[in-house]
Amino acid sequence: MASTKTYTAIFVVLMALSTTQAAVEWLGFLEDYYWETLGVIMVLSTMKALAVAGYYMHLRDEPRSITYVAMAGLIGFLALTAGASYSII
Amino acid sequence: MGDLPPRSSVKRWLVTTNHKDIGILYLLTSVFFLVVAGVLALLIRIQLLQSGGTILSDAGYNQVVTSHGFLMIFWFLSPFAFGFANYFVPLQIGADDLAFPRLNAMSYWLYLFSGVLVLGSFFQGATFMGGWTAYAPLNVPSYIPDFGQVGSFATILALIAFIGSVTIGSVNFLTTIYRMRAKGLRMRDIPLFSISILVTVWMMLFAFAAYLAALIILSSDHLLHTSFFALETGSGPEATDSGSLLWTHIFWFFGHPEVYIVFFPALGVLGEMVQTFSGRRLVGRKWFIIAMALVGIQSFIVWMHHMFLTAISLEIKTVMMVTTVAISLPFDLMVFSLIYTMIKGKIRWKTPFLFSLGALVIFIIGGITGVFLGAIVLDYSFRGTYWVVAHFHYVMASSAVILIGAVYYWFPKMTGKMYNEFLGKVHFAMAFIGFNLLYFPMFIVWETPRRIFHYNSGFTMWHQTATAGAFLFAASFLVMFYNLAKSLYSDRHVGESPWSYVASPEWAVSSPPPLENFPGKPSFASGELNFLDRAETDGGVEDAATDGGVEETLAPPEEHADHASWWPFLTASSVVLTGFGLAGLSVSHFVWPFLFAIPAFVAALGVHGARQDGFAQIHGIYMMLSFPLLALFFIFFHIGIGIGELASMSAYFWAALVGAVWGAYTLAGIGYESFEVPEPKMAEQWPFESVENTKLGMWTFIASDIIVFGAFIGAYIFTRIEYGWQEWWKLAKDPAAHTMAEQALEHHPVLPGLINTYLLLASSFTVVLALSAARRTEDYSIGPFSISNRSATVTFLGLTFGGAAFFLVNKGIEWVDLFVHQGWTFGVDVMSSTFYLTTGMHALHVIIGMLVMLFLIARAWTGAYVGEGEDASTIEYFGLYWHFVDIVWLFLFPLFYIL
Repeated sequence: MASTKTYTAIFVVLMALSTTQAAVEWLGFLEDYYWETLGVIMVLSTMKALAVAGYYMHLRDEPRSITYVAMAGLIGFLALTAGASYSII
Repeated sequence: MGDLPPRSSVKRWLVTTNHKDIGILYLLTSVFFLVVAGVLALLIRIQLLQSGGTILSDAGYNQVVTSHGFLMIFWFLSPFAFGFANYFVPLQIGADDLAFPRLNAMSYWLYLFSGVLVLGSFFQGATFMGGWTAYAPLNVPSYIPDFGQVGSFATILALIAFIGSVTIGSVNFLTTIYRMRAKGLRMRDIPLFSISILVTVWMMLFAFAAYLAALIILSSDHLLHTSFFALETGSGPEATDSGSLLWTHIFWFFGHPEVYIVFFPALGVLGEMVQTFSGRRLVGRKWFIIAMALVGIQSFIVWMHHMFLTAISLEIKTVMMVTTVAISLPFDLMVFSLIYTMIKGKIRWKTPFLFSLGALVIFIIGGITGVFLGAIVLDYSFRGTYWVVAHFHYVMASSAVILIGAVYYWFPKMTGKMYNEFLGKVHFAMAFIGFNLLYFPMFIVWETPRRIFHYNSGFTMWHQTATAGAFLFAASFLVMFYNLAKSLYSDRHVGESPWSYVASPEWAVSSPPPLENFPGKPSFASGELNFLDRAETDGGVEDAATDGGVEETLAPPEEHADHASWWPFLTASSVVLTGFGLAGLSVSHFVWPFLFAIPAFVAALGVHGARQDGFAQIHGIYMMLSFPLLALFFIFFHIGIGIGELASMSAYFWAALVGAVWGAYTLAGIGYESFEVPEPKMAEQWPFESVENTKLGMWTFIASDIIVFGAFIGAYIFTRIEYGWQEWWKLAKDPAAHTMAEQALEHHPVLPGLINTYLLLASSFTVVLALSAARRTEDYSIGPFSISNRSATVTFLGLTFGGAAFFLVNKGIEWVDLFVHQGWTFGVDVMSSTFYLTTGMHALHVIIGMLVMLFLIARAWTGAYVGEGEDASTIEYFGLYWHFVDIVWLFLFPLFYIL
């Protein structure tokens, strides 16, 4: 396990990134740069998810095989969503 | 409760958690469902004796065809294979039992009671009538006759309960095979059957998760009147049945792997039987295994070949045609491997081999005829005809034929008695002739339209031939039942193995095997199977080797393992009443039984906790808390429905209420039961050496849940793309918005979502702190103040619970505003459907987490998890779940509140 300080720092970062996501909407970036802003917001969500998985779920300390188990589920989701979405574009 | 009553006792079969007992229960139950589904098949064939039908009404025929499919695929084929898997996988890998024996029992009972629910649906007006594929919109209420509404929903709920069983089973087998192999048993050396089960449970874990998501969404369409699967987007000639398309995508993302889920266990046994009766190792064994794994992966990228007649693009159809042709290549390799093994070996024409060879012929025909369906142009003609019916029966039923062979193969091992060889061969002859007489004519009259009983009268002779074949095929099973029943009570005893060549460890133990499976701790460390003395001696090296007396280091002593528990049976039994009741409840009534179950759960935690850990303040608090909670829900009920209405509530309401309360009580009971399952101290565990069984189990469950949520999010993305991604957003932000939904979205600000993000992140942080506190060796102290680790753990868990509670309160305020004040209800439009259902599914996860937290808080309060000799891992495992729920929200927040 990491130290309490590390967990606290991660928590602060997570709160800050969440606020940033909302701020992007409040500042009206979506009105003018929708797709760019969408990309930024989703990247921020991904960063937050990686921080939670890596530190709070201790994936950094587990054997890589555990990460691969989770990745398998993620790839399944992406295959279904991408395949289904592509089929109607 | 630990020890098992004898097998002659009925109680034994209700409380057992032993894998061999549960294997037998699976086998017998699945044979029961085979008989039921088989009778339904005979009804279909009688109906098809002449065009226009003979004995069944239109609705009756639809029910029979649908139930035949459901029961054969879900309640017979897979559970039959998993009966063998339960019995033989631990024996083949050198484990004493599965990793989670109680969950294994739970898995079985959920399977049985889900089957009771689906059979009961026949008596709730009518069972589901829309075919086993349940294509939309035939699966939504507006397309189901009134008399079939309740039974159809009961069938959907039964499928959900069945998937609960499947998911628990998959997690259990994955953990067992990865973590409990005998020392020295490398993954590549696992017997073929167990390898096939490993590949199968991986596919099950992910494929059934997608199906679960589809069924939950479908349940929402039934119960909440959301509009996912009946959705039409656009208008006029441009209109698209996007709801139907969405169902088809999710269903076949599950449905195609399901074909291999059904077939692979049989393929594994086939490999073992071909080896045994050819008297040699499988030719190209390594490549056979690689091919199997490859098909397992490829099975998730071919699903749209079932959708060539839908509105999907030609580009994606072409891609899927290529991937479909590609998936046949590893199968070719496996078939040639089997054939070449037979050619190189010396065949022994025993009954199991006859079934193996017969099934291989059948499968090859099924495989080749399937290639036609994988070609887009040919599929345009064949889709919806008896070509498809014949093809998939040649494939799916070939696995049944193999598994019947497996019955003869393993019957001597399971019973210690030998079957009658002559009757076995008579069975094979009748089954093989009957099977081909039944299904081959369907290729000849392939132009018969599928799912209806009207056909070209020129086809009558062939359909009557098929009916004759069906009865011959059915009669062959009577020969088997007679043979096995008579043999069971005969004096034809067998020793360890009746076969002259065997290649897997189950044949090295007595028939039937003892309760603990092996005479000692199995080990392959020397390169061959040895049984080590389980008892600890002072550095002595005793070896009970069965094949050469190889010296081995002693295995550390094993702790006592429990084998019996009432709770899996009792907990799973709640599914029947709950499902029966829920199927008949309206949107305004369904939530109350579950709300009333919450105080029951809280009270049950107090009662079970006091009994198990000794009475403590927290147990009293829980017992007392349940009363105001109950009163609160009664007040809500009075506001929503009216207390006076209780007297006129339907039987469905009371059934759901009793079922939910019973489920709450038993879940608390199973949580508090002391049930020892020691992890093996000497086992091959690559690639999860440093991960405990429960942690691996939790991670595999989370991987499955990723697919469940993924399918929800995928459904949202698909629907929004179909609608027009930016149109969706622009309408929500357009000040000139004029519809109710658009106004609701306009006033649907980011803030509630952001507040809930803060709350969930904070609760993730506090659960980490709770784990950290539980694992500290020194108490917390700030200046003159100090707080014990126990108190800190309870406090942080309490804060986590508080964060979750505020999350729900905030969500409640938001929903009441949208729902009541703005009139933006579940089914107003697709936006409201996706919003409420996806975030509601997440909220359900939060509620489940809160109920588990109540348990953790009570346990921590009484000293569990903290201090010397205590293990805080339970908090860590719960934390994994809770952080996952947090991560899901991190994506729902932008998708539903910002973008």
